[in-house]
Amino acid sequence: MNATKTQTGTPSAAACWSCHAAAEGTHFCKACGKIQPLGRDVDYFAFFGLPRKLKIDEADLEQRFHQLSWKLHPDNFVAAPEYERNLALERSSELNDAYRTLRDPILRVEYLLLRAGVRKEGTTKQQAPPELLEEVFELNESLDELREAKADGGDLTELRARLTDAEKNFQEKLDEVDAELQNVFGEWDAAVDADADGVAQRAVMAKLNEVLNRRSYIRNLVRNVGVELEQG
Amino acid sequence: MSKTVGIDLGTTFSLIAFVDPATSAPRCIPGPYGETLCPSVVSLDADGTVIAGEPARRRLLTQPERTIYSVKRLMGRGVEDVRDELKIFPFRIDPESRSVIRVRLGEKYFTPPEISAFILRELKSWAEEFFKDTVDRAVITVPAYFNDAQRQATKDAGRLAGLEVLRLVNEPTAAALAYGLHKQKRGRVAVYDFGGGTFDISILKLISTTEGDIYQVLSTNGDTHLGGDDIDNALAAVARAEIEQKFTIDFAKHPEAVQELRKTLIHAKHQLSSAERATIRFALPDDRIYTREITRAEFDKLIEPIIARTMAPVKMALADAKLQPSDMDEVVMVGGSTRIPLVRKTVGDYFGRAPHCELNPDEVVALGAAVQANILESGVKDMLLLDVTPLSLGIETMGGVVAKLIPRNSTIPASAQELFTTGVDNQTGIDIHILQGERELARDCRSLSRFQLKMPPGPAGLARVEVKFLIDANGILQVSAKDLRTGEQSSLEVQPSYGLTDTEMERMLEESIEFAEQDFQQRQLIEARNEAETILHATEKTLAREESQALATEERAKIDAAVKLLREAAAGTDYKLVRKRTDELNQATMHLAELAMNKALQAAVGGRKLDEV
Repeated sequence: MNATKTQTGTPSAAACWSCHAAAEGTHFCKACGKIQPLGRDVDYFAFFGLPRKLKIDEADLEQRFHQLSWKLHPDNFVAAPEYERNLALERSSELNDAYRTLRDPILRVEYLLLRAGVRKEGTTKQQAPPELLEEVFELNESLDELREAKADGGDLTELRARLTDAEKNFQEKLDEVDAELQNVFGEWDAAVDADADGVAQRAVMAKLNEVLNRRSYIRNLVRNVGVELEQG
Repeated sequence: MSKTVGIDLGTTFSLIAFVDPATSAPRCIPGPYGETLCPSVVSLDADGTVIAGEPARRRLLTQPERTIYSVKRLMGRGVEDVRDELKIFPFRIDPESRSVIRVRLGEKYFTPPEISAFILRELKSWAEEFFKDTVDRAVITVPAYFNDAQRQATKDAGRLAGLEVLRLVNEPTAAALAYGLHKQKRGRVAVYDFGGGTFDISILKLISTTEGDIYQVLSTNGDTHLGGDDIDNALAAVARAEIEQKFTIDFAKHPEAVQELRKTLIHAKHQLSSAERATIRFALPDDRIYTREITRAEFDKLIEPIIARTMAPVKMALADAKLQPSDMDEVVMVGGSTRIPLVRKTVGDYFGRAPHCELNPDEVVALGAAVQANILESGVKDMLLLDVTPLSLGIETMGGVVAKLIPRNSTIPASAQELFTTGVDNQTGIDIHILQGERELARDCRSLSRFQLKMPPGPAGLARVEVKFLIDANGILQVSAKDLRTGEQSSLEVQPSYGLTDTEMERMLEESIEFAEQDFQQRQLIEARNEAETILHATEKTLAREESQALATEERAKIDAAVKLLREAAAGTDYKLVRKRTDELNQATMHLAELAMNKALQAAVGGRKLDEV
């Protein structure tokens, strides 16, 4: 591990650090071709030259990723001065972070909401959605019984069957919520296309956030049941 | 111009390779014995001279307490990490070792990076002899599953050997590069790399784009302490038990016998790769003989659990890449241990296709490293490697839980930012503990570093310091901090949990100057020998021509004597003597050279003597 003490360039400078031509927020200066520092708060969508839409053509994204990799990868800057080498390191790490985030639909929507301040990191609501309360209650009871039975060495066959059913049930719900999320992705993209006003966009974002919270809750349930069933 | 090379710094063997400009193909450079494999063995002579490679390997039998092998197993590790290994490997560890292990060779202690540096120096001298030129930049390969500390230790070793490490490349990725070039294949490739001490599996995608070929690693997994060594140890355990039962012998008192037995067993292991049975014949220190036959079936049964251990990482790598075994277009075998038939069968059965074994599994990693070195050196880019970090990076949070910042299998370079603020008024620092690993709790992960982040004084919550964690293209972490209110970079004193501190590194670099002196002498010797070769060659050529008949018998005898003396000197290592003898031969052949010159002039100007012209 290295501690770096190097100074990085002034963020979002209005001019190219090398030729002083007006900076346009591009990866390379349009006048002299030198690699440019990252502006503060880079938008991952903008990094790839994409609109902030949630439905993304994966093949197209991968192609953009590869094209930018050719240009930004540190391999291209081995012989460059230290300042440019550091810029390339910064830009290429940002590229990889952006690709990792946007290629995954869930990370993608979370990123959009985090940036808009609609969602906060690590603060997913762990509240059972009201319509699921009853089923969740039953599931938790079965889980407790299974744990007890395991500890006492009791018969697990019937409990396991019940939990396997519950797992299947919640997996279906997860598929449903994923489909629902896809629909709201569509709503968001339509709002972007229509250049909808801030209020309208916020409304769709709130909806996205709500579906996302529900999804996260159900996914945790499925995972917990899976773990419990796997452990003997 | 100095040369750039690719180096495979292996557990058992190391190799050095370059891209031949004549053919544009990579090739390995042979050492003085004509072999491209350099045993990763280092020995300290009683006079303080360090010996590496084949001569050191021979000393494993004669001076085991001054000689060390498989030092790669100790790279980037702490004393408590290797406790289990000490039961099996004859490492003599300094009990006072702290964050970096120190190993005793004879009367001196060395750290694993220093020992590795001796191996690198040996390889460097092979290449310098080969090119008749300086070699000071290299790409060095590491197991894909190496953590930050292990990578940093390898980089340190390069620096101590006088090499600028242009890049650390993952071994399976290097192999894929050599393979892809060789076969011109595209698609999904699984590289199963089972070497002397480490196991790696990497899943790659080989893509052709308009700019050139991309080798994108999708996922990687492995075990940095699983390899052919473990097979040798399993064989040794059986043999030792049998020997101790039949004969009374205390192996602890006979380290040389342990090495002799190990050598015999490795030989038997190699035989079993092609033969159905092998005979182990071992002479005890008191000349009694232990002999037994081992069949392939017995051997397979013994090593089956070791090979089974490679399959869990294989499954995890596939799962991380979201692929099935049948999705692979090719399976490539790398590392000496993939010569074992049971390994090939196990892997072939799992993927449902015959694995590729046609590339030399010992050389392929070094060849790939040479290709990457050439890309970085020449700037000619028609290939791009996109590799990943093998382990998740995180920091310890409340209750000893790890918060993951960069997930495993992220393409590198990769980064993450974390914002820190003060909890109480005038708090001056925040303790940060960085870890690598997949487990939930900090105590189950690998500690990379603990440090205190300095906070600007003020009321609670006012200070806002952003720490940036960046994994570079070598897979090595860099940490920097920025005060968001002032925009100032803050300085960080990040000391590694397992690794050399800056001060230790400086001291070792100073000490390495002594070895650099040896390097200098080595280079002088190479140059002196070259000069000697040239004049010897010219003298022989002239002596074979008719004008040499004009030499007096006495004169001829003088020349023959000088030739003989120079040949003897050139076979030795004293470069000053080589120079002296070269001068003497020059003196002795002055008249001969004059005769030859006259002859040539006669042909040109028609029959007058040189001084008449």
